Amino acid sequence: MIETTDLVKIYGDGGSQHFQALYGVSLRVEAGEFAAIMGPSGCGKSTLLNILGLMDQPTSGTYSLGGERVDGLSDRERTLLRRHRLGFVFQSFNLLPRMTALQNVCLPMSYAGLGGTERRARGADLLRRVGLGDKVTRTPLELSGGERQRVGIARALANRPSVLLADEPTGNLDSRTAVEILELLGELHGSGMTLILVTHDRGVAERADRILHVKDGRIVEDERLRGNGKR
Amino acid sequence: MMFSEPLRTGFVEIWSHKLRSFLSFSAIMFGVAAILYTFAEVNRMYERREKAMDLAGPGRIEIREDRDKEVKDSGLSKGLTIQDAAAIRETLPWLYMVSPSARAWLEFQHGDFKSDIQVEGVSLDWRKRGWVYTLRGRFFDEADVRSAARVVILDEPGGWAEEKPFWAQWWKDTDFQSFVKHNDLLGKTVFLKHQVFTVIGVLRQPPKDKDPRWFRQGGGGSAFVPISTAQRYLTSSRRGDAPNPDAVDEIIVDTGDVMTVPGARRAIEALLDSRHRGVKDFKIDDFREMVQGMLNRMKEYAVAVLSVGIVAILAGGIGIMNVTLATIFSRIREIGIRRAVGATRLDIIVQFITEAMLLGLLGGVAGIGLGLVGLNYLSREGSEQIQSLVWWHFLALLGISVGAGFLFSLYPAYQASKLDPVDALRYE
Repeated sequence: MIETTDLVKIYGDGGSQHFQALYGVSLRVEAGEFAAIMGPSGCGKSTLLNILGLMDQPTSGTYSLGGERVDGLSDRERTLLRRHRLGFVFQSFNLLPRMTALQNVCLPMSYAGLGGTERRARGADLLRRVGLGDKVTRTPLELSGGERQRVGIARALANRPSVLLADEPTGNLDSRTAVEILELLGELHGSGMTLILVTHDRGVAERADRILHVKDGRIVEDERLRGNGKR
Repeated sequence: MMFSEPLRTGFVEIWSHKLRSFLSFSAIMFGVAAILYTFAEVNRMYERREKAMDLAGPGRIEIREDRDKEVKDSGLSKGLTIQDAAAIRETLPWLYMVSPSARAWLEFQHGDFKSDIQVEGVSLDWRKRGWVYTLRGRFFDEADVRSAARVVILDEPGGWAEEKPFWAQWWKDTDFQSFVKHNDLLGKTVFLKHQVFTVIGVLRQPPKDKDPRWFRQGGGGSAFVPISTAQRYLTSSRRGDAPNPDAVDEIIVDTGDVMTVPGARRAIEALLDSRHRGVKDFKIDDFREMVQGMLNRMKEYAVAVLSVGIVAILAGGIGIMNVTLATIFSRIREIGIRRAVGATRLDIIVQFITEAMLLGLLGGVAGIGLGLVGLNYLSREGSEQIQSLVWWHFLALLGISVGAGFLFSLYPAYQASKLDPVDALRYE
């Protein structure tokens, strides 16, 4: 379960050069829920996702992950939580170009200290699950956009996280490939994973159980599309 | 975290940027090669010192003339003489060797060939130490010395056992050496200072690359005659200021044992002081001082080469630091990705330090290779020097180069770890 209360994020020194991205955001996403954060560019949705993904810290407010307060944790503590409990999927895939698909997927596992054999076996299995069982040795440059995003999803699942955070995961894909990726994310959600997806595309957001509309750093609407979030 | 990932990434990065990597570790490579050379040189010199000490005699004491004009003018002392040598022998009969010698530059003539050479008058004891020659013919005997026979032994250069190294191309034999080398003069008559002498022996030097002597003992005459002969026929008028037919240039003494040197030295000094009426016109050095002097010079040389090596390694380290800093700027996004998927700041530090240490290791390995090749092809005693190296030399060199990589990547790695993951991911 993810819960935030009055999250504020101010960039800069707080003086004349500062910029406030979030204005007291409070939200609650239940375990196993699929929530979309939707809003126009610059509304603060990526900032919110970065804070939820423990990549960034709020200036004020509280954040609980699985019932445990995680705001104010040290960089190392946040990194360890991110490593084991959160998975990230990026709009621009963010794969390391000199690594093969398998090596990219194995990267989070190597930081988690998994042995080489187990790492490779789990990585290959994940790539099979996302439909790339025959492309484990390809580098990102040898893969299509959709395939790269599948590798990105497999990597996000590497350490068996409970929450998957996706920042415009279909933003760089054509519509057909985007549908495939959304179906894949839907399958993951179907298997019980909490999924938080950031998008500015209503069509993408409608795949979620609910849409949190963000505007000017505030959640202006919590639109529930289906279910109660508990599965 | 596992070290396999930083290692793997390190290899990939180095392989992907071969030229950049080579340039960054090349200074370390040269530094390591210089230090390896120093290790080999110093080790070999220590080995040679041992051999040279055995050869020259562990109880060696050298007594030489040391007269300044004032002393000469005083007329109190005749300087170092053959009688001094006899007195030493008489007073300290247990000495293994008492070898006086006198030298002079004279004209040598055989047929049409003429050349000025250094002739050394030596006693029978002379051959007891430092004998590295191959003798054709015979050495002087008691009768030659007693009768001041006009017999001469010529010195023949030994050449090179193996191919002459390229740096020794300028090392040419003198005209006299070439003449002795190419003409068999054994048993022939030659002229020394226009007087007839018979060549009774030819001393062939060991090959230059196999010469066990650390330094040339006895001054290296080109021809040897009995000391009595030298004094009677060749050297008696060489000192225009104070003609003294008994003068000798030096007396080499060997006690036979390094332990007896201090006592013998004191006794000789006291004896000569009384014989020279307190005039300090001689100088006594014992082998320990000479060895120490040589060792000191060797140390200075080693320190100089080591300094060059250390400076090169420091330069290499700074090169690695520079490259690592540049690498970080080109890999900011990668750092962001790694941080996003779970790399801690320490993981990032380890990543960049590992890469720099790999560069250092490559520099070390390449430097050892370069040093060995250099020793083998450029050094006169390359193979012996290489053999004198021991495992810890290589380990130390690798440690130094890997250590330089470690040390000089700390700051860049720390900088990399400080990058904010969100900013790093946004970096284009």
